[in-house]
Parts: sequence; C-alpha cells; structure tokens
Amino acid sequence: MYEYSTIGWLKHCIFHPVEGFEDLRWKKKGSISVAITIVAFLFIAMVVDHQLTGFAYNENYVKVFNVVPLLVQSVVYFITWVVGNWALCTLFDGEGTFKRIFIYSAYALVPYIVCTFIAVILSNVLVTEEAIWITAVQWLGLGWSLILMIQAMRAAHQYSFTKTLISMIFTVVVMLLILFLAVLLISLFQQLYVFIYQIYTEILYRVRG
Amino acid sequence: MSIRKKIKRILTLALTASLCSVMTITAFADEPYNSYSYDSWEQPIPSQSAYRISATITGYELGLSQLRDPSSPYYVSDDAVVTLSGAKDLFCDEDAREFWIADTGNHRILRTNEDFKLIGVYYGVSGDSEINKDEATGLSNFNEPMGLYVKTSMYTNEKMVYIADNKNARVVKAKLTTANTLELVQEYTKPEKELYTQTTFNPSKVIADNAENVYCVVTSVNTGAVMFARDGSFTGFYGANRVEVTAKVIAQTLWRKIASNDQINAMERNVPAEFNNFDIDSEGFIYTVTEKGNTSTDAVKKLNSAGYNIWDNNAGNEYKFGDITDAVWDSVSNKKHNKMLTDIVIDKFGRMNVLDFETGRVFQYDKNANLICIFGTKTSSADQRGSFSQPNAVETLGENVYVIDGSKNDITVFTTTTFGQQVHKAVNLYDEGKYTEAVPYWNNVMDRDGLYTLAYIGMGKASLNQEKYTEALDYFKTAYDRKDYDKAFKYAREDFLREHFTAIIIIILVLIALLIVRKILIHKGIIVIHERERI
Repeated sequence: MYEYSTIGWLKHCIFHPVEGFEDLRWKKKGSISVAITIVAFLFIAMVVDHQLTGFAYNENYVKVFNVVPLLVQSVVYFITWVVGNWALCTLFDGEGTFKRIFIYSAYALVPYIVCTFIAVILSNVLVTEEAIWITAVQWLGLGWSLILMIQAMRAAHQYSFTKTLISMIFTVVVMLLILFLAVLLISLFQQLYVFIYQIYTEILYRVRG
Repeated sequence: MSIRKKIKRILTLALTASLCSVMTITAFADEPYNSYSYDSWEQPIPSQSAYRISATITGYELGLSQLRDPSSPYYVSDDAVVTLSGAKDLFCDEDAREFWIADTGNHRILRTNEDFKLIGVYYGVSGDSEINKDEATGLSNFNEPMGLYVKTSMYTNEKMVYIADNKNARVVKAKLTTANTLELVQEYTKPEKELYTQTTFNPSKVIADNAENVYCVVTSVNTGAVMFARDGSFTGFYGANRVEVTAKVIAQTLWRKIASNDQINAMERNVPAEFNNFDIDSEGFIYTVTEKGNTSTDAVKKLNSAGYNIWDNNAGNEYKFGDITDAVWDSVSNKKHNKMLTDIVIDKFGRMNVLDFETGRVFQYDKNANLICIFGTKTSSADQRGSFSQPNAVETLGENVYVIDGSKNDITVFTTTTFGQQVHKAVNLYDEGKYTEAVPYWNNVMDRDGLYTLAYIGMGKASLNQEKYTEALDYFKTAYDRKDYDKAFKYAREDFLREHFTAIIIIILVLIALLIVRKILIHKGIIVIHERERI
C-alpha cells in the first residue's frame, strides 16, 4: 500500500481506474475541499466551453449570456446525482456515506473537466476540417470519466459490477424525480406567495377603508 | 389578481418591450411600416429603407377614362369600366419598357408604357377560335385572364403574348398585330391524354421559354406545371413539389402498412402542395413559389430545364425565404403570421423579389438567396400608400419594383433610396466576386446602417482577398459568419506559423532540453522526488 499527499491520492484514483478508489476507501482518504473545488471547476469548464470555444466551433447562442442554465447543468445536476445515489443505495445495502459519494463522484469527473479545457484550447487553434481531434478529446474525457464513475460507485458501495450499473441507471431516474418534485415545489411556493400577497393587499385595502 | 392574469400581464409587458426594441419609430419616414431585416441569429432587427413609395397608379392615372371618350383610339363604349378590378397579374416587357396588366375582373388586358400611360386595351383575340365568341366584334373574348407573359419570338421575331385565360379553360398565344388588336397564334386547351387526370383546366399563370414551350400553373393540379410544346401538344408536367414531411404524414405512412385496402382508400392522401406562381430568368431557369401557409418544403425552388430543383442540396436547404420568425406583425389586430408567398420575379440583375400575400411584404434576395431588403406592408391601415390589401403580383423594371393590388385596384411603385442604390451596387459586385471593388459601396452602406450583416461579410471577403487576415477575421466575427471565419482562420494560422516558425522551434527545443536536464538531475540524485514512499 501507498501513502500519498491529498493531490497525490486524486492522481492515483484517476490513473488507476481498477484499484484506485478501493485504495482510497481502504485508506479512508479523499478530501471534501478538493471535491468542492472540482465541482467549482466543472462549473467553470461549462462556462469556458460556452463562451471561449473557438469562434468557428461555437454553435451556442452567445448573443445573450445567461449563467443560470450552466449552473444548473453543472452544480445542481451534480448535487442531485449525489443525493439521488445516496438515497437509492442506502436502501439497497450500499455502504457509501453521503460524504463519500460526494468525494468519489467529484474525483471521477476530473478527466471530463480536463478534456473539456483541452478541447476548448484546441478549438481555438484548429480549423473545422480538423474537428475530429476535438471530438476525440471530448469522447476520451467522457469515456474516462464514465469508467471512473462506475469504479467510484462500486468502491463506495461495495457492489458487484452489474449491481453498480443498475444502481447508476436508477440514480438517473431518481434525479429526474427529484428535479420534477423540485420544480413542482417551487411553483407551489410561488402560488402560496401570491396567495399571501393577495391577503396582504386585501387587508391593506380594508385598513385604509 | 390571479396568477394567470399576472402571467398575462408579464407576457404583455415583455411582448411590448420586445416590440419596442424590434421596431424603432422613425418620425419622418414616408412609409407606413418600419423597415427591418434579419440578423445572423435570424431575429428581426431594424434597418434602413432600401425602397420608398414614389407613386400609386389607379385607373385614373392609367388614363382609362379614354375608354369612354369617343374621340380616343381606345374608345370602347360609354359605360366601359374605368378602374382596375381584381387585377391578378402584372408583367413588364423589359426590352420594350412596357407593362401588361391582367385586369381580371374586367376580362381584359391592358398595355401601358413605362410611365403607366395606356397604349393598348384588349378584350379578346381575333382569329380562328370558337371559345367565348363575341358576335358583335368577332373576337374570342377573354374570361377572367389571370396570368400574362410577353416574349419576342425567336422564330418569327414577332411579339407574342401568352394569356392564361382562366374561365375559358385555355392558354392563348397571340401576336400583337396593331396597337389595339391581338391575333391568335395558338390555343392550348385541356390535354385529352390519360396522363392528365383532372376534369378541369383552369390556367392561372403562364410563362414560355426560348423554345416557346409553354408552362402553365393550373388551379388544383399538384403534379407540377402543365407543359405544352410550341405546336400546342401536351408534353407533360414540370417540376412538382415534394410532400412536406410532417408528423401526420409519417403516422399515415405507418398506418398504411397495416391497414386493409378499403381502409387505405378511405384515408386522406398525402399530396404535395401545388406551386402557385413562377418566373423565368434570362438563363432559362424557372423559379417557383408555393403559397400554402407556412410551408417549408419547396417554398421557393429554382428549376433547371429538366424540372430538377438545383437548390436541393446542402447550400440550398439552408436558404430561407419570407419571414423567419413568427413576429407579431400587426399591433392593432395582433395577428400572428402565416406566410404565403404568392409571387416571385427575377430582375435583370438576377435578384429575386418574393411577395408575401399575407403580410404584403416584398423580400428581395440576391442570386444566392442573401436577404437584401424587406419593404411593403399590409397593416390594418391598408388605405395608406405602400400598404396593401390583396397584393397579387410583383414586377421589376430596372431598379424599381411594382406591386399590383387586386382589392385597392392600384399599382404601387417603389423606387430605391440612396441606401438601396448603394446596397444594390455593392451586392452586384459582390455576387460577381469583385469583393475589392465593392468596398467603397459597402462602406457607404455601413455608414447608413451599421447592422447590415451582408456588408460585414462583403468587407471580410475583400480583406481576405487582399490577404489582410486579421481584419477579415474581425469582419466575419462581427457578421457572425462562422464558415467564412473558418476559411480566413486557416490562412491566418498558416501566416502566423510561417512568421513565428523559428520562435516556436526554439521554445520546443528549450522545453525538451529542460526535461532532459531534469531527468539527469533526478538520476544523479540531486533532485529528490517525494511522491511515492513505500511503507
């Protein structure tokens, strides 16, 4: 067994997809502050991808820049993933704690974030005829992160491979459910707010009489 | 206040705000509309007027009162109608600078000079025809002529007039004998062939090519234009539209697979929308427009002589005609858009003018379907000059554009503004590939309208031609033209690499050297790496 610095552990996890996360669990390592930083970088990567991709490649609607959808696509999705996974796997003999799922999932995202940055840099020096390189980098990041995520979830919950896959698919379903309920809740509270506001104005009218 | 009301209020506010931002008000403008254009995001933006209304021509200006004047050579009778009525077509004979008007409601054809002074009126054709024969005059009278085409014959060098005589179910080819008489040359009637399955034959528009093949749009025939050879024989259909693929069509195709024959027979058939109008350019290409509301398939086509749409390719599929967004166009009636392209005309410069019946707007494009300008309107205040009630046809003579209205019974003349002239000069040079020569005109255009996208693309291409790549990149970025930007970027990158080749090589060599030195130092134990420690 090895002993690493905090960043060293992160490197170990990324470059050793097979046993990296198991080691991390065994040694009870993994830093919550590093994980939060990674999520922050995920958000930054999204913004960079939206705004700084080379002009010839950028198909986004850059006339107006709205940060909210990007925030939702990165931070909110990530938190929903963690909450959903935790909620699901606690019920199905998963050993992962909330903190552990958060840290492991974040660690698994690093290749995707790095490859997004690389793709953005490449898109500024390549012409569209050479787009295959950028696509390759993007798929590399996505695939790598996916493999890491599977391994991370497996190590976190001590599941078999198939059980990990099934739990991940159902986590996505749970995510949709959570988001649906959240939207519902928000609109309900909005109505409640309107109702209270109406009572307030009504009372105001009466008092003024 | 209920939430629905609140949402409604917010929506109204947002709509008003967006309308305010889209349509700026120019207090001194002549036109009863605000000129606009579309930007690279296909959103409407205000623009300068490229055309202004110079005149409206009614029966009075045409001099139709002469029809009641016994001393005039055009005298018909004392109760002849002296206004236009439901005119469906306007044709300009560019060589002779004459206009021909299909005065549909009055069953006659009018011929005027370029100042719209009457030089001929025709109620029928003389000659060997039994259709709608007038006993008194011996003429075969017209009955609601809806389409017109005039061309000098290459065979006989005589001026031939083609008339889509709608209610008489024929197309007339006549030659101009004297100023006031037409003599029948050929009559094209309903084809008695199995291929022609319709029971009626009501031609509404007609054109002829150089070989004097006659093409006519026939009401409720959706298999293309009916085509006749010079000798009057039916030769087939030309250039049918395709069926627009909608969810309904796809569902029907699936049902047909499992339904029985009886059920299939009972189903509605998927048929293409017929095109309603066409024009032929100097090179013999035929342009068609389809009026069906909001159709996106084959709205405008450019057909070669075989009837094949030459815009049916990657570039052509991106061409957009008419209004793009469903912008609210009438603030009074708050009516939503349903574009109906009713007429197209190709002028001698190759520019296309497309008339939208629903909004009364004329969209002018260059030969590569780049939007040049939009003018005309059909607001609730149709009484104003330049706004239409039933715009039926559009024509051009030189730079001018003419629109005939079948309800207001007049012709509106649009002439170019200084801005329009500069745009036209620039676009003509641009389309010829003379990008550098177009620069001064583009500069003039940009001085008057800084949001004119095509100007920036033109300037960018000129810079690219002069190998000023960074400048070109700047222009293309402003125009949001990603394709051309990419081309310019390729050259700019090559230029950059060539210029800084030595510097780049030196940096790479230094980096490699540093790495080697580091390795040697580690190897000798001068630098110690603490990364891994075995326990």
